[in-house]
Amino acid sequence: MLLRVIVYVLNGQTHVLLFCLRMFDGVKFPSFVLDVVMEKTTHKRSNRTGIEENTLAILESTEAKDTRDTNDDRIAFIEAVRAASFIPETETAPTYPDAVCSERQAARANSIGPPDFSGFTLLIQELGGVVNGTNFQAVDTEYLRNMLLLQYLVNVLEGDFLPQTSNWNLLRESLLNILLGSRRINYKVLMKDCLSILSGLCQARAGINNDHGCSENSGTKPSEDCDPALVFALLDAEKNTCVAFQKLLTIIMELDTSKINADMLGHTTRADGVRTPLMEIIVDELNYDRDIVSPFLQVGSSFRRIGSTYTKLHYILQPSVRTRRSNGPKDEATFDGILKYFSNSINLRNFVKKMSTEIVQLLLAHAFQAHLTISSQYIDGNGDSKENIGNSSLVQICEDIICAFKSLRAIDE
Amino acid sequence: MDLDAPLDFENEDNLVSQPVVNKKRKIVIGLDDLLTDHYKQKSKLIEKEKKKAKASKNYNSDEDETGKEALLSNIVNSCQNKMQDIGGEEEISDWGLQIFGNEKNPPSLDFPQLGSCKLLQDFLNNEVNSLVELPAEDGETFLEGLLINGWLSKLVIRRGHVEKSIATWTFNLILYSSKEELRASACDFWCAILSCKSKVDALPTKIDWFPRYSELNRALSIYGFSANFSSTAESVNTNSGSRGPPQNLITWIKFIAACCQVRSKKSIFFTKEAEELVEVVTCLFLDRRLQALSVLLSECIQSVINYFTDQEWNTSCQKIAKSLALRVPRDLNCLRTVDCIAGVNNRSKHLRSTVAYQILLVCFNNEATREEEILNLLININVKEKHCDLFRMYIYLVLTENWFLSCPNLQEKPVINEMWGVYLRNCSCQISSTDMRPYASKVRNKASYLLQGLTNK
Repeated sequence: MLLRVIVYVLNGQTHVLLFCLRMFDGVKFPSFVLDVVMEKTTHKRSNRTGIEENTLAILESTEAKDTRDTNDDRIAFIEAVRAASFIPETETAPTYPDAVCSERQAARANSIGPPDFSGFTLLIQELGGVVNGTNFQAVDTEYLRNMLLLQYLVNVLEGDFLPQTSNWNLLRESLLNILLGSRRINYKVLMKDCLSILSGLCQARAGINNDHGCSENSGTKPSEDCDPALVFALLDAEKNTCVAFQKLLTIIMELDTSKINADMLGHTTRADGVRTPLMEIIVDELNYDRDIVSPFLQVGSSFRRIGSTYTKLHYILQPSVRTRRSNGPKDEATFDGILKYFSNSINLRNFVKKMSTEIVQLLLAHAFQAHLTISSQYIDGNGDSKENIGNSSLVQICEDIICAFKSLRAIDE
Repeated sequence: MDLDAPLDFENEDNLVSQPVVNKKRKIVIGLDDLLTDHYKQKSKLIEKEKKKAKASKNYNSDEDETGKEALLSNIVNSCQNKMQDIGGEEEISDWGLQIFGNEKNPPSLDFPQLGSCKLLQDFLNNEVNSLVELPAEDGETFLEGLLINGWLSKLVIRRGHVEKSIATWTFNLILYSSKEELRASACDFWCAILSCKSKVDALPTKIDWFPRYSELNRALSIYGFSANFSSTAESVNTNSGSRGPPQNLITWIKFIAACCQVRSKKSIFFTKEAEELVEVVTCLFLDRRLQALSVLLSECIQSVINYFTDQEWNTSCQKIAKSLALRVPRDLNCLRTVDCIAGVNNRSKHLRSTVAYQILLVCFNNEATREEEILNLLININVKEKHCDLFRMYIYLVLTENWFLSCPNLQEKPVINEMWGVYLRNCSCQISSTDMRPYASKVRNKASYLLQGLTNK
């Protein structure tokens, strides 16, 4: 049954579908999901709450036994609601920050209070249990459901986030900022869990290839006699879950950047609180657990919004760079700046002492890729500003990289 | 004055007064007991006699008893048969077809000409290779690494040129590689080179080789896809353990979608081939083992639908619908077929409506050729008649509903709208809520729901 519902969840930014999921699976969703749903619907179009409540009431009332007929009816009903009210809406969703802002404030005024996000932690923990192998038995539809739920929530958070805006007043009210600032969650633990799931998923996925088809042996893979539909579902869902986690981390980093900028302009207040930027947590984790560097960077290479991969890499490099020259020029913020820094073999040697040659190579390769993507985005006229790219020509950068690799080899010998 | 009543002082002394009362009562009860005992004994005697009589009967009339047993078992049997009949009628199989049969052997993935590609040769001859020291025979492994890490697409886009050997190599990886990472990366590679925009400072990427439909079709048949499944249609038990198609199907679907999305730059398929693709992708929806791919499949079908030019679309839509209507079995599978064409834009609504209409025509063995005729046939079905197949009726109802989803004639001909109303009233009013026939309540509820929508307009 669940498989049939997947379509509805992933197809749309449609909220009724969550109720649908909840019903079919016979599992009550954590209340935070409903809160998110309500939140989203209220500030999209206030009178839609009515529909939601009615839908909920109708769906709740059909407590009949789980026969095919009732399921057919429910799906038909939900399909009808979707066709009637949601699909045209998504195409013409308000994109003007001002409109959203006023709607959001209006919604906040008559909403039922801030959403309770404690269930988010639970969801992440459950996923972590399966991915990192403490719960081998759980590779089933529930695991699938959790992955889909996460993908849905990340979509909601991303859609709500409006990354282009520089208006902190808007970002402050974003679901993401509220989620991260919620006292019900332990932000640092949550982020660390996310990182470990992400690297766990990547390692499992890489395992598929190294085992040459013996994928069934690895932790999160279903056994041979498993429902083939589930095998297909898991294969795709795990990949998309990786993407969802990357997206989540990316928007958190974007939020961090916006907050730092707002802070410098004096737009933040004391009520905004203090939160460790995600990048610092990542760097801590990478220093603590070298094994996850490689999978983490591998993930990075498939980032869609490469811009922040680049930011990420320069952050990773920065602490080590900055501890050496704490008030040094801001040159290191660009890729050619980093390369220039490495062109000094003493600098490079010191860096290799902290991290292995292999990791430095990986960092350089990924940073180069990110740089290429950013510069092509810049040429296309969208994406980051020129200051992130630096002034060096591509040929110059290639030569610098070759030079850096040569010195790395020299250090190794 | 009551002489039996205790004297004043006796009331005060419970110890004296109590025994007196008890004694008196005991005597009275004793008499009652005698009487009841008498009746009890009498009834016991009667029972004993009855038992004796029964016992003698048991011993003396064996034949009589077996006769009764046979009668009883006959009744039970006929009851069971009737129950089974009723149950059997309700047991209408769910949708689901065996779309994929046995896999054939995939072609070899050996690619000797890859070593001579210019991209690799240029690298081997470059001074940088003194750093990497790549042996010429490891070329393929090296390229695989570039592919997986996303370098290959960046390199060829920078060079503005995709050589034939690289194009065919990656294409074959998409279709036949058993390594998930390789086929996914190869698919990403093709998506990148197909969608890459011409840069201001770079030449538009020149692709030396494009796949042909026949090659994609061949891959599908190697996966075990059988084009004429309707002749061997049988319901699939998901527990039967039959293995599904290879997981390359996922990248196959993504690749088709990517190819269709670049029509403005390069039309990879002929119109007729695109028509066939719509059919094939729709058929994939009918395999229960592929349910998890529904999202991919819907995206793919939308891309293929949008591949057609406006001039092509109207005739192509008719052709697709007619061909699909002949292919799908006329049970729940035909509803699933209509269902999976999500009506998210005008074209897909149009297709959904046309497919539903064509299936209806086939359901009536092409007795009707015009819209009014179909509706006439529907109205003339007597739902009150005992042998009226309400399951069929349900299918007609859903098909008609979908047909009217995007039917331009509905506005032009009010008579059609009226006939639709009559049909819905037939279904909702002539079937009583206590009708126990299978699908009676479904038809009734559906019709009244639709009728409500019609009258609200």
